[in-house]
Amino acid sequence: MPYFNAFTDLLAHCDAQQCSIAQAALTMEAAETGQTEAAIKQRMDDLLTQMATTIQSGLATSEPSPSGLSGGDAQRMMAYLDNGNNVLNPLGTRLLAYGVATLEENNRMKPIVACPTAGGSGSVPAVLIALEDEQHVPRQKTIDGLLAAGCIGAITSQRMHLSGASAGCQAEVGVASGMAAGAMVQAMGGTPQQVLNAAAISMQNLMGLICDPVAGLVEVPCVLRNGLGAMQAVGAATMAMASITSFIPLDDVVDAMAQVGKLMPPQLKETAEGGLATTPTANAFTDAFFKPTP
Amino acid sequence: MSDSLFSIVGPVMVGPSSSHTAGAVRLGLLARMLANQPITHATFTLYNSFAHTHKGHGTDKGLLAGLLGFNVSDERIRTAFAHADEAHLPYEFLCDTAPNHYPPNTVHMALTLADTTTMTLIGHSIGAGRVRISQLNKHKVNLQGEMPTLLMIYTDKPGMIWQVTKTIAEAHINIATLHCNRQRRGKLAFMTITLDDALPTDAIDTINAITDVVMVRCLNKLPD
Repeated sequence: MPYFNAFTDLLAHCDAQQCSIAQAALTMEAAETGQTEAAIKQRMDDLLTQMATTIQSGLATSEPSPSGLSGGDAQRMMAYLDNGNNVLNPLGTRLLAYGVATLEENNRMKPIVACPTAGGSGSVPAVLIALEDEQHVPRQKTIDGLLAAGCIGAITSQRMHLSGASAGCQAEVGVASGMAAGAMVQAMGGTPQQVLNAAAISMQNLMGLICDPVAGLVEVPCVLRNGLGAMQAVGAATMAMASITSFIPLDDVVDAMAQVGKLMPPQLKETAEGGLATTPTANAFTDAFFKPTP
Repeated sequence: MSDSLFSIVGPVMVGPSSSHTAGAVRLGLLARMLANQPITHATFTLYNSFAHTHKGHGTDKGLLAGLLGFNVSDERIRTAFAHADEAHLPYEFLCDTAPNHYPPNTVHMALTLADTTTMTLIGHSIGAGRVRISQLNKHKVNLQGEMPTLLMIYTDKPGMIWQVTKTIAEAHINIATLHCNRQRRGKLAFMTITLDDALPTDAIDTINAITDVVMVRCLNKLPD
């Protein structure tokens, strides 16, 4: 998708063509890969189906991960919703459960859709599938949402590497939350400007997020963080749809995030040498977990 | 990196890590294609982050699953040890935690093949499921599996590149990149050609029949 490496160019294209970001993404992908727009939409549809399948299988079990560090929280969250606890509206409670469910399945070594990475794979599906299930948003709209999410991720990835090892968790759940926020605005019929505002608001709020996983596993804090990443995305999308704009535009937010990633010390970039990973609790777990090396 | 939307949304893969699990599977798949015959024993030596975190990330299962031909989305990755036993593929995992110059996620594979020869390779998982093989039978190579790839080892002499590229041209296939190097003048030489489309079998046969070709491998693009 090399037509644009700046969101301002994307926006100018959408203005000139009077098209949505989803349509711009579709046009670019078709031109680059030679696939038809219908085939691209079908692949996105299939990926949404896989995302929903992963969420449902994650909610159907409380089986712990091989390490025992995760598993069962998605079910706890859904049971809480099913018992009528609606302090948050049902959408909010549901997407917390969905985001956690995907990451729990990831740790059970079940199929997930990397989005943009495996460690950040919970937020985009949580938002889009919860919109389908709770707000009855039709699949054609969530396909548009996923196209917009992919477009935001693709342009971002031309400016920074999307991995915790290179830029911390801001590059994984941080970017995922921006993709999810944009996806929601697109699925709800917002304007291209609102889509990019939602992504900018969400991503700037997770800027600086470190990657400090306990024992180097993709579990603590990653599992719960993916649910919360989805929750934040919905908040940012709601702000954008209320016509709140991001003072710092998305291009600048991404460049700032790339800079912060470079400034971040290696101990906080997926090496398990700082942060939560070196707390006494984590150290005790890590020692026990790695003792019987095969 | 591919700029496709589907490199951001996707692939469908078995977790938990795109680099430590999906990348491991893809290294196994590349090794399987390079072997090009049944593998009767596999020894994996893990380095750096692979050595430290393979247990939690299923790197060992992923490597084995790739050797068995499973793709990154195959749920059998989870039970790869049992499938290797069923397939009569004995295996062994070693961890080398001594300081080294390798990149973070590195594996050395020593594979015994059906014809009793041994194939060795060094592979790296370089992030988001992307991989690179940097050494084959102690020869320096650069294989990534992102396009159909022709790898050839041959005796350094005039006309070899011409004979290969002529065959590819006659198959109406476009060459994306071409890299050659050699040990010394007149000794072993290596050619790696990435292609826009896979070579048909008769073209591979023609290349195999070239005098003084030591080894030819035609690798498919790794599945999405």
